[in-house]
Amino acid sequence: MVVQVSPDFLMRLSAAFSTLYLVALGHSLFEKSGLLNLAIDGLFFLSTGVSVFTAVTVHHALVSVGVPTALAPLLATLMSGFASMLIGLLMAWILTNLPVSHAAVGFSLMFLGYGLGILAGYRVRLEVGNIRPYAYPYELPTYLAATAAAVAAGLAVHYLLHRTCFGAAIRSCGENPHAAASLGVRVSRVRMAAGALGLFALGCGASLFPLLWQRYWDIKTYILGYGWFAFTIALASGRHPLLLIPFAAVFGGLIEFATALQALYGLQVDVAKMIPFVVSLALMVVYGATRLRKVLEPPSSLGKTYYKEERTV
Amino acid sequence: MHHDGRVAVSVKDLRKSFPGGVTALDGVSLDIHFGEILALLGENGSGKSTLVKVLYGIYAPDSGEVRVNIGGKLTRVLINEPIEAMHYGIVLVSQVPQLIDKLSVAENLAITLSSLKWKGATSLSGVSRVSSVIEKECERLGLKIDPNEKVYNLTYTLKQQVELLRALTIGARVLLLDEVLTYLPTREKKRFYDILLKLRKEGRSIVLITHKLPEAFEVSDRIAVMRNGKILGVVNAGEITLQEVRSMMFGAAVKLLINDKTPSRKAGKTLGGEEIVVEQLHVKDDYGRDAVRGVNLVVRKGEIVGIAGVAGNGQRELLEAVVGLRRPERGIVRIAGLDITKRGARLARSLGVSFIPDRPLEYGCSVDHSVLDNMAVPFSLTNGLLLRWGRLREIAEKVIGEYQVVAPGVDASLKSLSGGNIMKVVVSKEIESASRAIVAHNPTRALDEVSAAFVRQRIRSRAERDRLAVLMASEDLDEVLRMSDVVYVANSGRLYGPLDPESTPREEVEKLMVM
Amino acid sequence: MVVSGLSLLLGLLIYVAIIGTFGVSPLDALTSVARAFVTPTVVKDLLVLSMLGYALLVAFKASLWNIGGEGQFYISMLPGIVFTLYLFNPEQGGAIPPFAVVLLSVIGGSLLAAAWAALAGAIKAYLQIDEVPVTVIMNYVVYYLLNFLVWGPLKGKRTYGYLRTDEIPSVYRLNFRLPMLYISDPALSFLYSIARQVAYYSSFVVGASLAAVFVWWVFKFTKLGLYIRIMGSNPNYLRATGVNTRVLAVATMALSGAMVGFAGSLYLLTELGRLPYELERQTAGYGYLAVLVAWLSLLDYRLVPLSAYIVSALRNAGTTIQVAGLGGVEQTLILIGSVLLVYSLTRFLIEYEVRVEW
Repeated sequence: MVVQVSPDFLMRLSAAFSTLYLVALGHSLFEKSGLLNLAIDGLFFLSTGVSVFTAVTVHHALVSVGVPTALAPLLATLMSGFASMLIGLLMAWILTNLPVSHAAVGFSLMFLGYGLGILAGYRVRLEVGNIRPYAYPYELPTYLAATAAAVAAGLAVHYLLHRTCFGAAIRSCGENPHAAASLGVRVSRVRMAAGALGLFALGCGASLFPLLWQRYWDIKTYILGYGWFAFTIALASGRHPLLLIPFAAVFGGLIEFATALQALYGLQVDVAKMIPFVVSLALMVVYGATRLRKVLEPPSSLGKTYYKEERTV
Repeated sequence: MHHDGRVAVSVKDLRKSFPGGVTALDGVSLDIHFGEILALLGENGSGKSTLVKVLYGIYAPDSGEVRVNIGGKLTRVLINEPIEAMHYGIVLVSQVPQLIDKLSVAENLAITLSSLKWKGATSLSGVSRVSSVIEKECERLGLKIDPNEKVYNLTYTLKQQVELLRALTIGARVLLLDEVLTYLPTREKKRFYDILLKLRKEGRSIVLITHKLPEAFEVSDRIAVMRNGKILGVVNAGEITLQEVRSMMFGAAVKLLINDKTPSRKAGKTLGGEEIVVEQLHVKDDYGRDAVRGVNLVVRKGEIVGIAGVAGNGQRELLEAVVGLRRPERGIVRIAGLDITKRGARLARSLGVSFIPDRPLEYGCSVDHSVLDNMAVPFSLTNGLLLRWGRLREIAEKVIGEYQVVAPGVDASLKSLSGGNIMKVVVSKEIESASRAIVAHNPTRALDEVSAAFVRQRIRSRAERDRLAVLMASEDLDEVLRMSDVVYVANSGRLYGPLDPESTPREEVEKLMVM
Repeated sequence: MVVSGLSLLLGLLIYVAIIGTFGVSPLDALTSVARAFVTPTVVKDLLVLSMLGYALLVAFKASLWNIGGEGQFYISMLPGIVFTLYLFNPEQGGAIPPFAVVLLSVIGGSLLAAAWAALAGAIKAYLQIDEVPVTVIMNYVVYYLLNFLVWGPLKGKRTYGYLRTDEIPSVYRLNFRLPMLYISDPALSFLYSIARQVAYYSSFVVGASLAAVFVWWVFKFTKLGLYIRIMGSNPNYLRATGVNTRVLAVATMALSGAMVGFAGSLYLLTELGRLPYELERQTAGYGYLAVLVAWLSLLDYRLVPLSAYIVSALRNAGTTIQVAGLGGVEQTLILIGSVLLVYSLTRFLIEYEVRVEW
């Protein structure tokens, strides 16, 4: 089997990796604090919509002022991150201070994310049709820079989580928030910080999907379900910032490989689309069934309602 | 006396009750002095744990004041979270170490130190800084702890030492120790005492919660006794005897015993064959500690075997192992001759063994469902796929009538009943549905005197008339003495006995409980 | 019930507020919603969502969040397509009566969907992997699997250039048409249009009724029903009495899937008539809407039809509101999201004692 390794392929691979890695990274940081994030796919799509809207709008604004437009996509990425970050703050506060179901809240935000993402992006999509001109420049240095930035972010998160006192506090909230409180952690504040930071990264990563990787967006892309790939990557790698790297690279490669195979060998397009999902499922099963689970366990209190005063008999 | 008279912490008229109508603190007022060791004694449910949890910010009191000595003046404070308590120099160490298992010792301590901004440590400081600090403190205190060791690898003793290290490193002025010494081996306990005495000399306050009287007398300056959410009295250790304290703790129950004479057990009652047999059983608890250490036990048909003892001495783990809800590490459990040791709860149930759990809300019922639904589970009368609701309803109505459960009807949701009535439902369905044996843990807890008496009479009647084997553990000593044919005392995972309840003096049993 | 109603209202208000920022007047929005409650097109959705609502109710009662309704719905259509178009195509000399083919399709569809759901149940029960992401991913697998089959082995021969399967032979179709009548009286005319809808979808009426009776019977009379209910609230209690909760979880998911499959196969035979290509773009999203129906019904089987009615109306409202160039499906998403969000936030008011202190 011969696969042509062209600069083109390299760029797409690096884009796939950067997108999936950053999303999975942010999601992992969020969940490390004990908050279940079932909204991931909705947040993913919302961020793509926001980023497309921002990219086009800022581009036009800069043009009208006569300023070079190179910064537009970067601003779009930051804006996505910001929007996602706000939701992260909200989720963290709600899930820590109210005895509500993490799953239910996450699930509803997923739907909201889809809907709001559509609203955010559909008008500009109608106006300009093709968003290619508004995406990141299609040059190898840009793509490699994005990958480098993603990896740098990962290293930073790793350092934060595993080397600093704050990181220890975040992880303690995920393992046992009651013991964490006893150790002196203000659980609500720490979770809000982790939630904000995590979803900021998620939002930035998701913005790369239309602006770097696919160079395309329409309102129907919410059905693609790529957020769930990031979810699976995070699950299988134990939400560890460094372990996420190989998993994200392989998964990104798988998706791109499947598309490339499809183009070269006429692999039916739906089979190619199905492969990543089947692999996700298989990965989850392998994770659950083997020792992997013991080694890469989720935080013990992930998704558990943090409720202090219970009834006693 | 070694205290210098200045008050470190003072609480006034604290009240706290929990949903379900349980009053944990009923107007508690207490002064804690600098440079003293104050023992806080009381039975389970007396409120001792709740009091210190309020001081540590884990619970918020319904009413009352907490005042802390700040710069020589007693100032009223609101403590909403543990971090705030620590700011005032108050640290709580619980019987169950509140540490994060997956993190290392250094990481756990780093969390506390950075939260308090201790010695300039901030959130973003590296954890490695803390390691060197820990090593120094360990030397000072004579402890051997590896800062990089993960907490789940530590023994129970070491975990408690880490907790102590944490408290001392941040310079705790008031140390609240909740049943901390209970599980420590004797040598470590002595070491701990030495440390406590040293801390007292430094002018710190120590509140020692324990139910072991000798321990309290050995180190404390003053003793406070709690019962039913109230403080019965605070006395200097030298001015009271052990017996007097014991009677304060177990108190009024003694009078009841005299009034409610045990109906005489038939002399020479013929007991049947061995129904429940336990051989050399070793069981671990939820935290990996040895809760049951080599227990042997036999319960015959028609016999009631009672296990007395303060909570936390292995009774729960023993009973759960007998009904198949917990896997023993070693040993054998036999029911009706069948080895059921690692076979799960289903087998025990199918053999006709019912179980009244100590955590009734967790294992004994489903509060979101009706009385009838809850009863249907153990009775399980079916015609193929279909439940015989008619018959089940009759049984349920009969049972709640007999037990006088206060409920709108069998269709009422358990959630709507009071705690005591929920308990009645849990207990009654197990007692009435058993066909071979009843295993019960605190069967009359949260029941009023009349209901409790009824439950006991029912259990006894089922044992005698229906030849059921009954294995019961209760923290209520009177109940055990009143009901059992044979008594054992659980202490630190071992069973002492068999004792004859009629001929053994009560003091002897109590001594075994608190030694 | 109050909380449900409140969530609906609040969610609706949030929805109106959101689309208000995109230039839709609140009045228009609310009128559309109100009007949607009485359009005849609501009948179909109401019936389908009732069947699916009952199906999901079974799993939800066990606290098993079966979000795989979409996948189970569509996979159940495969036996129907295979039997009616290939194995028992009347042009090749129908050897067995049409009724039998229909029956086989429905049974086959239910079984296949049951197996699909049971797989997710087993992954949850034995590997402790959360069933929400698993069932969602399995939905995607079904979309693409069916797409592949429609593109390949099941490709239609008489499709006039469109990529889809052939139409199911009319002898196997389950809809009944009442004639178009002209009635002068507007009220009567309206009622007649409703009646026509009901007649056309009479198989759904039968299906929904069967589902309702079945659910009522299971939970009122059987031991399984009791165990499912208790598992949803306190599986520890069941385990303590010796019940194998893992097998129970798989069985419950299978039952839920079977009921979804039952609805799905009926849907194929009554409404859809064929399988389209690019399923993921063309699905009405019933599987996800049903989650909302089940949730809003508070898992009370008596409220499922009402809940289904409300969700159907909201969904149809979305399609009539014009937000320049935006389709109805997309708007439904926002609506569902806001209602669900408010609902999950306020549920705790029912379950916990709330003390407000200043």
